[in-house]
Amino acid sequence: MAGIKKIIHIDMDAFFAAIEQRDFPEYRDKPLIVGGNPCSRGVVATCNYEARQYGIHSAMSCAKALQLCPHALFVKPRFEAYRSVSNTIRTIFAEFTPIFEPLSLDEAYLDVTDSADYQGSATRIALAIKTRIQEETGLTASAGISYNKFLAKIASDINKPDGLFVITPDQGLAFVEQLPIGKFHGIGKATEKKMHQLGVYSGNDLRKLSLTHLQQHFGKAGVYYYHIARAIDDRPVKWDRITKSVGVEITLPEDIDDGDEILTQLTALLEKAQTKLTDKNLQASTLTLKVKYFDFKQITRSRTFQEAISEKMDSTALFKDLLKSTDVGTKKVRLLGVTLSSLNDLEPESVAKQIDLFSPDN
Amino acid sequence: MKFSVNREQIVGPLQQIARIIDKRQACTILSNVLLQCRDSKLVITATDLEVKIVIQLNLNDIRVEGNITLDARKVLDICRLLPTGCDINFDLEGDKINLSSGSCIYLLNTLPADDFPEFTHTEAETCFNVKAEKLKDGLDKTAFCMAINSERNYLNGIEMTINDSMLKLVASDGNRLAVYKEDIGSTGLNANIIVPKKAVQELSCLLDGLEEDVEIRVSRNTLEALYKNVVFSSKLVADKFPNFDRIVNQLFLNPIIVDRGLLKDSIKRVEVLSNEKYKGVSFDIKSASLKISTDNPEADEAEEDLVVDYHGDPISIAFNAKYMLDAVNNIDGKDVKMTVAENASVCFIEGQSDSLFWYLVMPMRI
Repeated sequence: MAGIKKIIHIDMDAFFAAIEQRDFPEYRDKPLIVGGNPCSRGVVATCNYEARQYGIHSAMSCAKALQLCPHALFVKPRFEAYRSVSNTIRTIFAEFTPIFEPLSLDEAYLDVTDSADYQGSATRIALAIKTRIQEETGLTASAGISYNKFLAKIASDINKPDGLFVITPDQGLAFVEQLPIGKFHGIGKATEKKMHQLGVYSGNDLRKLSLTHLQQHFGKAGVYYYHIARAIDDRPVKWDRITKSVGVEITLPEDIDDGDEILTQLTALLEKAQTKLTDKNLQASTLTLKVKYFDFKQITRSRTFQEAISEKMDSTALFKDLLKSTDVGTKKVRLLGVTLSSLNDLEPESVAKQIDLFSPDN
Repeated sequence: MKFSVNREQIVGPLQQIARIIDKRQACTILSNVLLQCRDSKLVITATDLEVKIVIQLNLNDIRVEGNITLDARKVLDICRLLPTGCDINFDLEGDKINLSSGSCIYLLNTLPADDFPEFTHTEAETCFNVKAEKLKDGLDKTAFCMAINSERNYLNGIEMTINDSMLKLVASDGNRLAVYKEDIGSTGLNANIIVPKKAVQELSCLLDGLEEDVEIRVSRNTLEALYKNVVFSSKLVADKFPNFDRIVNQLFLNPIIVDRGLLKDSIKRVEVLSNEKYKGVSFDIKSASLKISTDNPEADEAEEDLVVDYHGDPISIAFNAKYMLDAVNNIDGKDVKMTVAENASVCFIEGQSDSLFWYLVMPMRI
C-alpha cells in the first residue's frame, strides 16, 4: 500500500543485566541489579527479569531495591562493555537499512519501508535482525513492527523478552482503543494522573476528547495525544541525528556545601563534556549549570559567551558567575550537572578569522 | 509607617528601581524595595548586590516614620495602574502594607527592613564632578564596543581613567575598541577602574543629558554617582584593563579621508553578499581609490569603488562589516578619517575634526 510506512522498534532485553549474565555465568538465574552500590544513593540502571518479579525497576533507588530483594546481586555498570555491544547492534541495523534512529544504547527505530530484503516483509526483516543480534552478541532483543513509531514502540513491549509483535494498519485503531492510558509512550506518571482526573483511562476515552480540550490541558503535547489516540504518528525516523547539546552530571557520594569541592567537581564535569564535544568535532558557547539541592529542589543557570568555550579558559571564572545566583556554598548539594550547547563545528584554521586585539600572538 | 505620596512622584523612581532588580534572585528579599520614611523624606533603595540605587523623595505627608521592604514589581505595577495624579497611601499594619487610593485597597506582604542586605563599600578615595551630558555622551559612544559576555572579565565593562583634567573611557570586545577623551577641568586626581556592563547601562539611563553635574566617587571596589536625588553605586570589575600601547605605537600609512555617508552606504550594499557568519568585507586601498568587495561560500560576489582622499602605498585589509559600520555610525561630521597600520594589523577610525572619540577595528583574515 502506498504511503504506509514500515517501522521496526528494536529493544534489547534487560540490556546491561543481560550482558553481565552473559559475561559472568555465576550471575545467571539470580536476581541481578546493575547500578549503584546499595549502601550508597545510586539508582538501578537495569535489572534482570528475576529481579523484576520483586517489583524492582530501573530508576528505583538501590536502597529500595535491596529492601525489596535482600538477596539480589548488585553489580557496578561497565559502560565500556555496553557501548561496544551497542556498536555491534548498530552495525547490524545498518546491514538492513541506513534509516535507523538509536534512542539509547539499547533501542532504536528502523524505517524499512523501502527495503527490498525478504520480499519487503517487515516482520521477516525484524526476525532476521533478532537472529543476527543473537548470533553476534548472544543476547536477545524484542521487536515491535507497525506503521508508525508510536505503535512500533508499544508493540516491542508486548511479548518481552525475546518477543516479536506486529500491529497492522487495520488493527492499529482497535489496539489503541483498549490500551490503558499509562501504557502510551509519552504519557508518564504525572500525565497519567492528570488524564485520570479528566476521566481518561484508555485510548478509547482519550479519543473522545476534542483537540481544543486537549490543547487546553496539555498545550503542545495535546496535539500529539489527539493524534496517537487515533493511532496517527507522523514522526519520521531521524537518522544521523544532529547533536544539539552535550551534558554530564554526577550524584555526589554525599551532600556537600564546600564551595571549593563543588568547583573541583564542576571543573571535572566540564572537562568531560568538552571531550565529548571535541570527539564530535564541535564547540559550544553556552554553559549551563544544574544544581540539585539536598531537598531535591533543582535549578539551572546558564550563560552564553561571545567566544566559544575552550579548554584554555579558566573554568573557575566560567562557573563563578553562574554560581553567584545560587545557594551553592550555603545549602547542601546532592547533584551537579554541566551542559554545553549553542554548538558550532570546530573551525578549521583555514577559514576566516577575526584577529583579537589582546591576543599575544597577533 | 504611614505616609501618602502622589502617583507622579513615585512611579518614575519605582521604574528605575525595577530595572535594577534581577528577576532570577536566589533570595526573596532582593526582589524587594526598601522604603525608609523619616524627617519628611522617603528613601527608596534596591540592589542586586552588584549595583544599588537609592532615590530620595521629599514628602510632606508622613504621619508615622518607619522602614519596611516589599515586592518592587508589585508596587510598581499597582502604582502605575492607578489613575494619573492620584494620592497613594501606604500604611504598615502588623507585617502587611495596606496600600490604598480612592476605592482601591491592596494588602501586600512585607519583609523586615533589617533583613535587607548591606551593600558594602569602602571609603571613597577619588571624587570629581563632570557634566551629566558629557558623561552620558562618552558612555553611549563607547558602550557598544563592550563585550556582550566575555570570559575575559575586563572586557565586560568600560575602563574609566581620570588623570588630572583628563577623563578617559575605553571599551572593547577584543575585536574593536572605542576611546573617549574629554577635558573636565583640573581635578588633581588619578584613578583607573573598570565599571561593569550593567552599571554602564544604568548610568546612561539615569543621566538624562542635562547640563547638571554628576558627582563621581571612586573607592577601591565601588563607584558611586550622585545625580539629582539619586545615589547610584556599583561594584567594580576586579581586573585590570590590558595595555594596548603596542597597537597604537606602530608605523601607520597616510590617512584616508572619505565621505562618511558614502562609505556607510557602500559597506551596507557590499555586506549583503558577505559570509553570513563572519561578515567579512575587503578594503583594497590605493591612491585616490578604495575598493570594497566581498564573496561568500555560495560564490556570490559584490564590489564597489569609492573615490577617496589618499596618497600612498597600496594596501589590502579586511574587516567585519558590522564593526566598521558601528564605528562609522558613531562618528560626527561629514568625513571619516581611516588610518591603517603599515603591516595592516589594525585600522583607526575617527572624525576629521578634533573629535573626542576614536575607534580601532581589528582586521579579519579571509
